[in-house]
Amino acid sequence: MTATYAWSDHRIFEAGTGPDARVLLFGTDHASLFALDGSARDVLARWRGRESVDLRDASSPDREVLEALRDALVLVPASPQRRPAPAPIDPAEIPLATLVLEVAQACNLRCAYCYAGGGSYGGESRLMHPEVARRAARRLVESSGDRQLVTLVLFGGEPLLNVPALRAAVLEAEAAASEAGKQLVVSLTTNGTRFTPTLLDFLREHRVGITVSIDGPPEIHDANRRYAGGRDRRTYADVVKGLALLRTHMPKPPAARVTLTPAQWSRIPEVFRHVLDLGFLEVGIAPVSPVTAALLPTTEQDAALFTGFALLAAQFRQAAAAGRVLPFSNLLDLLARLHVGSVKSSPCGAGLGYLAADAEGRFFLCHRLAGEDEFQVGNLDAGIDHAKIRVCLANQAASRAQACRACWARSLCAGGCHYENHLREARLGQPPGGSCDFIRRWLEVGICVFADLCRDPGNPVFAFLGRRADG
Amino acid sequence: MKKKIIAALNEKARAIERLAKGEEKTAAALGGPPAMPQGCTTIFDTGWETNPRPTYPIGNCQASARDFHGCAGDCWWPAQVPDGLTNHSDFDVACPNIARDWRNLKYE
Repeated sequence: MTATYAWSDHRIFEAGTGPDARVLLFGTDHASLFALDGSARDVLARWRGRESVDLRDASSPDREVLEALRDALVLVPASPQRRPAPAPIDPAEIPLATLVLEVAQACNLRCAYCYAGGGSYGGESRLMHPEVARRAARRLVESSGDRQLVTLVLFGGEPLLNVPALRAAVLEAEAAASEAGKQLVVSLTTNGTRFTPTLLDFLREHRVGITVSIDGPPEIHDANRRYAGGRDRRTYADVVKGLALLRTHMPKPPAARVTLTPAQWSRIPEVFRHVLDLGFLEVGIAPVSPVTAALLPTTEQDAALFTGFALLAAQFRQAAAAGRVLPFSNLLDLLARLHVGSVKSSPCGAGLGYLAADAEGRFFLCHRLAGEDEFQVGNLDAGIDHAKIRVCLANQAASRAQACRACWARSLCAGGCHYENHLREARLGQPPGGSCDFIRRWLEVGICVFADLCRDPGNPVFAFLGRRADG
Repeated sequence: MKKKIIAALNEKARAIERLAKGEEKTAAALGGPPAMPQGCTTIFDTGWETNPRPTYPIGNCQASARDFHGCAGDCWWPAQVPDGLTNHSDFDVACPNIARDWRNLKYE
């Protein structure tokens, strides 16, 4: 019988203070989460430094704890053989699940932080031809293999600048999905300034899920989100008008997508509260991508971002204690994954079931990388270029492979956003790993909030998280 | 009641706990069979070809897993394991991990 064990990668967290203090153990390989009692913590502290653990060397009380750690797969049989690295995922074997259509590579706004260069993703502003939209929509369904559910995302630029292509894509995807016996989900991200009753009727009839970009109270929103053609042309008032129209036409409130520049990160809690009070279903906050060096945060700004997110997490915890769900999308997504213990071997689905198509029908790894030749992976005529996807993903992973191997959070993060990494490293010449510290601290907040929820296993929040994890 | 030394908090941790207790019958508890190549070596070579099938003994190489079932099922392999013909038809419930749990097998 094996008596010699080695430690598998894990991380210990001290959560809470005083009588609420708890010691948590996160197992990296399985994304498992355990609470340790005092004796386990002490034994762990004594034995953790050893490279190998022989249970026969342990006193009886220590052995009891070590055996429990073995059952939790924290101690694993020490094997002289190294396990080979798992075979890389083959993109060609993963059927398409989501296609993002850049139906309008044009925008009526000129947001100061736009990663798409005023909506065009480089080059001239242009609209997708309805025929390209139809072909792309059909290609989504045809490339979806045995998947029952396919998702079409209408994106831009501002997609509502190209209603003909938008309608063509939705109708064609519906027809193709219905022929194939599949279920179709359509979603749309818009700046909220272009709603009309006719358009909203169409979106309602076709059950299109809507996300509206809004950045908070007027002064914060208008600081960056202005109309094209003049810095003095603010958009906040029109977005609020659009929301009022949307409420009268759609059965479900939209989700909000908030983008904040580093200078605004100190105001996260009030931004969240303001947007939630406008009647959104939930609110997700994106720290802006550093499209120029001016948008790279300082250390203080990074700290403010973390403080803001942590404050919202604390509010979430308070609401959850009363059985309510505070609809902060970033935290909900994290908690749902922690609840299940889902493990990532790739940071996102880009190229692995998720692609974007630009106005000309060229495929890109994801919507944010549209227009970047380096990340073009085929087109409507030639099909999806899986070999190029493999190269793109391998290149993205290569520079961080070593850091990820040594990181406790790798099974939750798997390397972070490709686009964000590309911007920081290839465009701005930053060393890899610029976002790692924030990501790890944020994951730790999520782990502590989740452990806190676990004090009441009957909390209805778990049912909510379970449903969210199931999609 | 004695306080638990380690309490599972999320679903994955609970699956690991069930696996250790032998309540979970398959490796699917940890999110499906591990992604490993099917097939195996032709010789008895306990190595990385860990049994990916949802059958016992989980964690052994495929070759040994096959031999193991050969003992309990069609009996082409002449070795001694608790099998379906004696009083341990459900030995795999009490003994999910042979190396660790063999003491649970009580012959009467």
